[in-house]
Amino acid sequence: MDLAYTAEQNMLEESIAKFLSSEYDLDSRKALANSDLGYSEEHWQTFASLGWLALPIEEAYGGIGGDLVDTMILCESLGKGLVVEPILPSLVLFGGAITLAGSESTKQSLLPALADGSIKGSIAYLEAGAPSDFNHVETIAEQDGDHYVLTGHKSVVFNAASADHLIVSARTSGGVKDLQGISLFLIPAEAKGLSRKDYPTVDGLRASEVHLDRVRIPNANLLGDIDEGAETLQQVINRGILAISAEAVGAMEVLYTSTIEYTKQREQFDHPLADFQVVKHRLTEMFIEYNLAKSLCMKATMLLNQASEDAQRHIHALKFLIGKSSRFVGQNAVQLHGGMGMTEDLAIAHYFKRLMVIDAMFGNANIHLEAFTG
Amino acid sequence: MDISFSEEDLAFQRRVRTFIDNNLPTGMALWTKRSEWFKALADEGGWDVPKWPKAFGGPDFTPTQRYIFDLEMGKQSTPPQLPFGVGMLAPILMNYGSEEQQERFLPGIRDGSVNWCQGYSEPGAGSDLANLKTRAELSDDGTYYLVNGQKIWTTLAHIAHWMFCLTRTSSAGAKQEGITFLLIPMDDPGVEVRPIITLGGSHSVNEVYLTDVKVPVENRVGEEGKGWTYAKGLLAHERSGLAGIQNSVMGLEKAKSNARKVAVGEASLMDLSSFKHKVGVLEAELMALEFTEMRTLARVAAGGDPGPESSILKLKGTEIQQRINELNLEAAGIFAAPWGPEAFGPDFAHGATQSYLGGRATTIYGGASEVQKDVIAKNVLGLS
Repeated sequence: MDLAYTAEQNMLEESIAKFLSSEYDLDSRKALANSDLGYSEEHWQTFASLGWLALPIEEAYGGIGGDLVDTMILCESLGKGLVVEPILPSLVLFGGAITLAGSESTKQSLLPALADGSIKGSIAYLEAGAPSDFNHVETIAEQDGDHYVLTGHKSVVFNAASADHLIVSARTSGGVKDLQGISLFLIPAEAKGLSRKDYPTVDGLRASEVHLDRVRIPNANLLGDIDEGAETLQQVINRGILAISAEAVGAMEVLYTSTIEYTKQREQFDHPLADFQVVKHRLTEMFIEYNLAKSLCMKATMLLNQASEDAQRHIHALKFLIGKSSRFVGQNAVQLHGGMGMTEDLAIAHYFKRLMVIDAMFGNANIHLEAFTG
Repeated sequence: MDISFSEEDLAFQRRVRTFIDNNLPTGMALWTKRSEWFKALADEGGWDVPKWPKAFGGPDFTPTQRYIFDLEMGKQSTPPQLPFGVGMLAPILMNYGSEEQQERFLPGIRDGSVNWCQGYSEPGAGSDLANLKTRAELSDDGTYYLVNGQKIWTTLAHIAHWMFCLTRTSSAGAKQEGITFLLIPMDDPGVEVRPIITLGGSHSVNEVYLTDVKVPVENRVGEEGKGWTYAKGLLAHERSGLAGIQNSVMGLEKAKSNARKVAVGEASLMDLSSFKHKVGVLEAELMALEFTEMRTLARVAAGGDPGPESSILKLKGTEIQQRINELNLEAAGIFAAPWGPEAFGPDFAHGATQSYLGGRATTIYGGASEVQKDVIAKNVLGLS
């Protein structure tokens, strides 16, 4: 057992902290969130040149071959700065799905381009019929000779507007909620019949509703085995949960530490707020919630890293705990900042909204508590 | 970062399991053969005192070995040692006691032949321990202290041979100053023990009255007036031991199996969503707390301090113990009510009530939870 970071991991953490302190203050982040693109392509290329985009990609495909712990450190560190660049949809979800289910030629053509920052992707797996169930798939894919034809509507596809490729789940057999019969397809963004309705999300990011109207793609664009996409989706979602949990841990760290700083400075009744015992105890509870979430995040990440049988259970417990702790830390950060906590001028509000969306992603605390208890 | 155990650690785990299989008395023998169990542990190379340093006969476990050792012992519910001598006084004697005191007291602590109790709390000094008033006055010839005062909540004072005691030798300066650490024999005619019966109907704590007790200066540990410093280090020790995380891991499994045996309609209590979710929330937090302890151990293994996370263990660990007690109480249903030596209803019901009642003490002793939060706020978060 060894819980220490390697020298490389320490360097990664330091280089992200350095990037955030020089490039990513609140005003810069707000400007990016309000820009047409919603993030900075220049930053994306910086990420590529610093090797962050190559981190989770295998060495055989131009990557660095990092493990899930490396991705955890990446996401936790970026979470401290509320980074808006599409690491999660493009690198973790899209890249993860290609790595897990892509054919040799698909990997050869896409993974090096993901690693060097020349393409991006996203994954369209959700539908309006059931906001938490990846197995609820009404979108249909029918084979027509050497093509598949896809028709349907996918919801809340993160950063779809900046993706060069989408992975879309569609039903090739079975009923709407069956695990069996879901297949994954790789679809170029410019495919005929694919249209998007783009919108901002409350946390300053971007998403789209994606409509597929008889989109024709070659059979070779089937990702993995026909009818067997659910397993890949589950694995990709697990990686997504680990990534956003790490991001939430980073965000919670900023929230509880900056709330400590604020309550030390803000004076009422002739005393700093931090002098009041009720405030001290609340801050202590925030510190504890943060630490428990961080502990379980580390453990679940390491368990999935070594493909332990215990990993799935821990991932459910983790997503539940992240939802519970981030709500506690977020709400109390706003509360202890008083009226200022309600304003968009302070970073607090933006972390609060990001944590709110993280709980909603990939099934919220209720869904995962239910899955955890069985 | 890697969560798996090394080959050496796995071999150690097998060794601990084999040892338990071969030596742990079962059933009623658990009580009658206690001393043989501790003898076997000692013969294994200091396993009876797993936290003692090598110089004093401890096994010199690595932190991972310590974790494995606690885990395996916890799983099999091996009999615990009374904590006062081995866990609490011994480290103080090792750090601050004279060589004579170490030679005189450590062997009896280790083999269990001498029972100790802790004379800290007083009627006016609970969470505010430094407020203690028990007076120790040095005799004119400088050979003994004359001790007068009252201690309270003294666990197992009624079976103790000795008490380690905080006394006031000076009222000058801050109240943390002027406190002196004395070792007092309980058979002194000036020592009177009166029982206190607590919520669970059991007798484990006492009042101890000290009237003109003459304590030879050889029984003073360290310097006069430095007792608070010594005790403070010990309190941290005591607190980390009170989290009982491995016991809670086992306790929660037992609580779940108890609930599965309780019929509710056509199903069991475990199928009731309100109960099941309470179990799930608790289990997720316990998993996180268990790994928080690992993080603490890993820091120590890397040569560092236990780190800020360690302060969470007592606070959260005792809260979790109480919530497990509550699950059992709820599972017992109306069979929580029958009181007395005879058991009725499900086999766990009888003990569930006592554990629930007695367990309310866990967030009070060793520094109440509210005090723990003050300590974390001050020492970890830097809030004055």
